[in-house]
Amino acid sequence: MPHVLVVDDEPNILLSLEFLMQQAGFSVATAPDAERALELIGQQCPDLLLLDISLPGMSGFDLLERLRADDATRHLPVVMLTAHGREVEKEKGMALGANDYVTKPFSTRELVSRVQTLLADPQQGG
Amino acid sequence: MPSRQNLLGLWLLLTGTCLVTGLGVLLWLESALQPSSPIRPVLWCLGLAPALLCLLLGWLLERRLFRPLRQFQVLLARLVASPDAQGDYPLEGWLRPLQPDLDHIRDGWRLDRARIHAAHTQGAQAAERIQQELEALLQVLDLPLLICDRHQRLLLFNPAAAEMFHDQPGLGLGRPLSQLLPHPSLADALQHLPEDGTPHQLLLPGEHHWLRCQLRRLGAYHGGALITLQDTTAALEHDQRWRRTLAQLLPRLRGHCGSLNSATEALLQVAGNPKLKQRLERAIEQESQALAGQVEQLTHLVEAHQLSQSSLEETWSNDLCGALKAQLVQQKVSLTPIGIPAWMKVDGPALLALLQLLIKQLSTALQVNQVELEVLLGNRRVYLDLSWPGEALSEQQLQQWRSLPLFDEPLSPRIEDVLEQHGADLWSLPPQQPGQPPRLRLPLPASRRGIEPLPRPAPRPEFHDFSIADLPAPSSDLAEMPLQQLEMVVFDTETTGLDLCRGDKIISLAACRILNGRLLADDAFDQRVNPQRPIPAESTAIHHLTDADVAQSPPIEVVLPRFRHYVGNGVLVAHNAVFDLLALQLSESGENSEFTMPVLDTLLLSRAIDPSLEGHGLDALAERFELVFPPGTRHTALGDARVTAELLLVLLPRLASRGVHTLGDVLALQRRIEQEPHG
Repeated sequence: MPHVLVVDDEPNILLSLEFLMQQAGFSVATAPDAERALELIGQQCPDLLLLDISLPGMSGFDLLERLRADDATRHLPVVMLTAHGREVEKEKGMALGANDYVTKPFSTRELVSRVQTLLADPQQGG
Repeated sequence: MPSRQNLLGLWLLLTGTCLVTGLGVLLWLESALQPSSPIRPVLWCLGLAPALLCLLLGWLLERRLFRPLRQFQVLLARLVASPDAQGDYPLEGWLRPLQPDLDHIRDGWRLDRARIHAAHTQGAQAAERIQQELEALLQVLDLPLLICDRHQRLLLFNPAAAEMFHDQPGLGLGRPLSQLLPHPSLADALQHLPEDGTPHQLLLPGEHHWLRCQLRRLGAYHGGALITLQDTTAALEHDQRWRRTLAQLLPRLRGHCGSLNSATEALLQVAGNPKLKQRLERAIEQESQALAGQVEQLTHLVEAHQLSQSSLEETWSNDLCGALKAQLVQQKVSLTPIGIPAWMKVDGPALLALLQLLIKQLSTALQVNQVELEVLLGNRRVYLDLSWPGEALSEQQLQQWRSLPLFDEPLSPRIEDVLEQHGADLWSLPPQQPGQPPRLRLPLPASRRGIEPLPRPAPRPEFHDFSIADLPAPSSDLAEMPLQQLEMVVFDTETTGLDLCRGDKIISLAACRILNGRLLADDAFDQRVNPQRPIPAESTAIHHLTDADVAQSPPIEVVLPRFRHYVGNGVLVAHNAVFDLLALQLSESGENSEFTMPVLDTLLLSRAIDPSLEGHGLDALAERFELVFPPGTRHTALGDARVTAELLLVLLPRLASRGVHTLGDVLALQRRIEQEPHG
């Protein structure tokens, strides 16, 4: 069962995503901020990361940059989640090494489909 | 011509010598020859004849030659000073035969002057008509505008500019622009304006306001610039406030929508888990309420703002690079623009300030002193890539820079505000391959315009009296400056008495300005001073100022720096300057009130030009040159300063005809006269 880590500071969305991703057949861990996410990744590296950009303290971009600089997580598939629906932010996420980018609000079916595609072929994105 | 005293002395000496010699010879003849009575009177007559002859000859020369010569000198001086003044008197003595020739020359000169005057009047009328049209246009123009020459001195400002700077003492024709707008970025931008008249934009921070300036080089002969100004404080504040609120609101809206969406989908799928179902229902309720609140806020925001407003303008990337390059000279960072230039839709001044700040940060954080700016064309965007040799920039560092203010001012927008305004962002790109430089990427809205700007046609020649622009550069050697072009401040003081070294003080200080050989009528400094000591009655009798008149006036410590500011780059002029200068120097109190500029003295100059004439006091000279004191202004500081200025203007052409053309010449002349003994 693929292991997915969801990082978001909104408890309601964490609750829903945890349930929905489990329904879709993933094992799910959640983290409310980047520091907790780093701890969890250190304990068990997930197969995929759903990462919100706006996090308290270290931002999603900071975390992504750190993951890409570490050999252990350089190739970890990352889907960025954002509430800023700006194209330029998507470009920035992709430039920093994200594999895909989903803007809130999103359809869970679409999100699950993208996660499955990425897990099947981590080189594919966008 | 020798002075009258010298001639008189010489005459009496010769006569006396002849008399003594004649008497000596006679006495010797008397004792040696003992002449008989018929010869004696003849001998005495012969002995005294030289002295008598000398006496008669001197009297004759004085009456027939020297006096007419002196009158002729006064006549010439008058003629030069006021050629058209009537009241000519005839030549006397042996000069009388010269009268027809003199009349002919004088009448011919007057006729020529009348012709020139008529032509000048005609030209001036045409110029005045054009000027009136221009002034009428400027009068109704709401846009404040300034025109300065290549030395950044003000040549023109319109009423809108006068209103904008109503509380600024630096606004005045001929004054340096830096007194009005002391921004190094403006001075620098003016120096580097493109020759083809391409406009250049600047955002200038002020104490309480923001000025958006558009600068454009004027192709006219003076090489100056046109500056249009716009106070954007309110617009900028309003715009930034609106954008910030919207930028905060929209992600929250999206976030709540996302949470609501996910919770609804989860609720639809949950079965047999009442506890989770209950939590999801509570989540939906919370998110719905939050969403309703955010939508309400958004409605108010949109209603309060007209979304159509935009400050983004079509800008050619090379113009931006050029301006940036010029500004970076001060920071000692070299900028090389590379790539194909492109049109962008940006807020030029704000973007310029942003790039300048980013490069400054780069220079400080990574010791970068060489930056390349590449313009890359995307589909709907233009990417500005800054690259530099050295290490890459971390995202965390960039994140910290986002909140930096563009200027050190309370209202300053931050980097993130400008990014938000352009719908842009900023990120660091590490080197793609070894050896390549790291980059900082700034995506900006592209413009629909695709072609390069066409060369602009040469602007029409300027039509206004821009003679200030002909003045030499303030930095050029003053000594070489022609007197007619010198900015001169003519001043006078009234004091409690004449003994300055024993405590007499200034009670009134006034000055007026001569620019381009013209006394400026509405440019005056006139300030009474509280001497902080009683004014003696005998002094009041002269200038009519009493203790009560100066009781409310500021002390000299306050007035002197103001006067120094008024003098500016001018050269000081006074009549009997030694006294007035001593009065100033004894009152000097600091750096802002030092008077170290050259000083011209009309008393010395008058003595230099007419050494044989008596009377070089202000009253005597005013009478000689028919200068008029308006009633009641004699012995007022401003009245005396103005007459001194008129006197100087009368002396200037006479100095020129004696080969005294520059400030250096006139100072040398003054030194020579000062060293000569005088009676």
